[in-house]
Amino acid sequence: MTTEDTTTETVAEESSNDPTNDDMLIQTDVSESVSASGTESTRTIVESRNVNVWYDDDQALQDISMEIPENQVTAMIGPSGCGKSTFLRCINRMNDLIDAARVEGELYLGGKNVYDADVDPVALRRRVGMVFQKPNPFPKSIRENVLYGLKVQGIEVDEDEIVEQSLRRAALWDEVKDRLDESGLELSGGQQQRLCIARAIAPDPEVLLMDEPASALDPIATSQIEDLIDDLAEQYTVVIVTHNMQQAARISDKTAVFLTGGELVEFDDTQKIFENPESDRVEDYITGKFG
Amino acid sequence: MATDTRTTVSEGFGEVSRTVGTAFRYLLLAATLVGILAVGVLFVYVGNDAIQPLTADPGWHLTFFLTLVVPTLAVGGVLRARADGSFRVGLESLGLLAVMPLFAGGVATLFLSVLPALVTFSYAVALGLVVATVVALMRSRRVGFGAKLLVVGVATVVSLLFVPGIIQSLPFVPVEWLLVALTLGTPVAAIAGAYATSSWNDRRTGRIAGAAALGGVVAAGLLGSLIGFGGTAATILAAVAGVPVALYAATALDRHPARRDGLLLPLTVVGGMLLGAFLVRTVGFAGPAAWLDWAFLTGPNSITAEDAGIYPALVGSILLMLIVALLSFPVGIGAAVYLEEYAPDSRLAQLIEVNIANLAGVPSVVYGLLGLGLLARMLDEGLPILPAAIADPLGLEPVRVGANLFGIGTVFVGGMTLSLLILPIVIISSQEAIRSVPPSQRQASYGMGATRWQTIRNVVLPKAFPGILTGTILALGRAIGETAPLLVIGAPNQFGLPQELSSRVGAMPLQIYAWATTSGTPEFYAKVIPAGVVVLLVAMLAMNSVAIVLRNRFQS
Repeated sequence: MTTEDTTTETVAEESSNDPTNDDMLIQTDVSESVSASGTESTRTIVESRNVNVWYDDDQALQDISMEIPENQVTAMIGPSGCGKSTFLRCINRMNDLIDAARVEGELYLGGKNVYDADVDPVALRRRVGMVFQKPNPFPKSIRENVLYGLKVQGIEVDEDEIVEQSLRRAALWDEVKDRLDESGLELSGGQQQRLCIARAIAPDPEVLLMDEPASALDPIATSQIEDLIDDLAEQYTVVIVTHNMQQAARISDKTAVFLTGGELVEFDDTQKIFENPESDRVEDYITGKFG
Repeated sequence: MATDTRTTVSEGFGEVSRTVGTAFRYLLLAATLVGILAVGVLFVYVGNDAIQPLTADPGWHLTFFLTLVVPTLAVGGVLRARADGSFRVGLESLGLLAVMPLFAGGVATLFLSVLPALVTFSYAVALGLVVATVVALMRSRRVGFGAKLLVVGVATVVSLLFVPGIIQSLPFVPVEWLLVALTLGTPVAAIAGAYATSSWNDRRTGRIAGAAALGGVVAAGLLGSLIGFGGTAATILAAVAGVPVALYAATALDRHPARRDGLLLPLTVVGGMLLGAFLVRTVGFAGPAAWLDWAFLTGPNSITAEDAGIYPALVGSILLMLIVALLSFPVGIGAAVYLEEYAPDSRLAQLIEVNIANLAGVPSVVYGLLGLGLLARMLDEGLPILPAAIADPLGLEPVRVGANLFGIGTVFVGGMTLSLLILPIVIISSQEAIRSVPPSQRQASYGMGATRWQTIRNVVLPKAFPGILTGTILALGRAIGETAPLLVIGAPNQFGLPQELSSRVGAMPLQIYAWATTSGTPEFYAKVIPAGVVVLLVAMLAMNSVAIVLRNRFQS
């Protein structure tokens, strides 16, 4: 696919083939940038059952149970310290790197509990890409950055092809194609974050986790990243943590609202969450009365 | 009137007293200057005694002032005023030109005095075969790690056991300088090629640079042996000093063509020195009666001040530093990586870290005792597998193995003792360098599904390496000046050139100490000791300059 594809085109294209055509049109009318969600019957790829997380004696997550659908964008919102990033890091077991963290419960990725004793966290992370809050490219060339995952996984591929394909998907190719051997650190902040996204998708992961990927960027870079997430959702399951409620409303299909204490208060279609939430606390949070 | 002035703006804010702050500031300045001035005065004093510049003809000074100082200042001033980076290029190339020949001299002493060219060459070939095996195996992905390790192990043993013998028994061997050129030139060419490949991003350029480096080294050797400079010396000079300087100049020229005028600075200095020397010789002005001259540098020690030279001590110091570097770097960096990356945050790890910090403060004479008791005795008498205390009551013979492996009071024991001495410093500075790698980089690597080992190798070590190297080189600078441990392990006061690892040798600080105590005539105090101190300081500063360059280059 090319980078010229815009969100609206994608929406129109998919809507025309969609049985729920009218719903889709209404949805785009209400909130133009909400991307085309698939049908209701999408498969669940990540499922958590009663996940609890403690940092030493502090409980960071309480009994989180949710089902994240495949090839959609799922947003997690909530005030600082509510555990949304912690939950994200449970999915690829990055919490294992913190000595103090303890995880209980079951978290299934593609039907397999990732906290089973026979799961190698390194092998798990090879199937789950991750993008962090602050752009963190390696002090290596752009090409080496993109190929890092393939290198550590020992996958032999046509390197030039993968580099071009990943950078195109991350909407960065046109800006860097003539300087692939320059250091990734010489790019601007927004470009660095797109490079990190290209790096994360180069090994073709099943799920892409994003931990506030645009919070350190300016508005223009942010909107580029948002457009990109929209495009990525066609091929990947994207789980994104964000502070920015407008951002969640714009780009996600499903939204999970975490509130203080590590509690998942509501998880539903984004549209429903923002227009007619079940819980008063969620409504208060979304309308700015709390949080 | 009074009420008017009070309401004006200029007096409306009043004044805040800064007296205490100002006093504090100048006290701090004084504290800074005390140390620097004291050392500066010492340097001037010692340098004056060693070089004795005032004994030269005024004409000599004037000639060099006109040919060297004035043009250098003029060129430097112009370059600096242009502010386009060419001044920096000039300074860097001048620094390279000043320091690299010193390193070449150090390497040359080893090849000329200690290592027989053929033996060195044969072992270099054996090691080269091992390296070639490793490189060949690294390319293939089908062979498992265990199999690779086995092959490399077997290759190392076979190669080191048989190859040197075969080469040394060859009926025809090349002349000495050619052997040295191959021994030294091949790795230098490989490094030059790799550097050129990475800085021009082009394998062909890299290969050309490597070939040019090897060709240049061989050509220098041939030229040197033809004009009587000495083939081996010319080879080493070209390999250690010529290739890096040429590579730097080529990179500077190609990368920033606008800054190429910076290279005028070293040219001016070298040209000025040559012109000055030529003029002084033609006119017949007498130079300074320096004590620190070629004869002092390359002469053996003597009981008379006139004949005393520092060469054996210089070679001893270089050998010691070589062994200290080879022993302490891998062990120290390995320990630092383990403590930072692998060790769990347990009481034991904390205890170890606190103890390492304490060991860094243990007086060096204590390490000398350790070297004497543990290393020298044990290596002399052998490791007590069955000590006499247990064997005698049982009516058995005591069993010791490896007796007299390296002898006592030696290069090897001294090197090991000094390695132990600087090990805590190496560990601590390496730990700090590793700790300064941002956690976000590690997270990124782990997030991509890298193992701990892959993260350390690909992310942590490359980023921490300049810092590690800086710290370890500075630690090496401490080791070169240590006297007490060497005295305790029984290094002799009078010594000749070291011949092998078990030779009884000294080092420069020990030699200076010996001059000051046993031959303490006024003549020694006034001239020989200052000259020795200058040589020691120059050697130390040359080593530290590498650390400084590394820090400046990688900090930005």
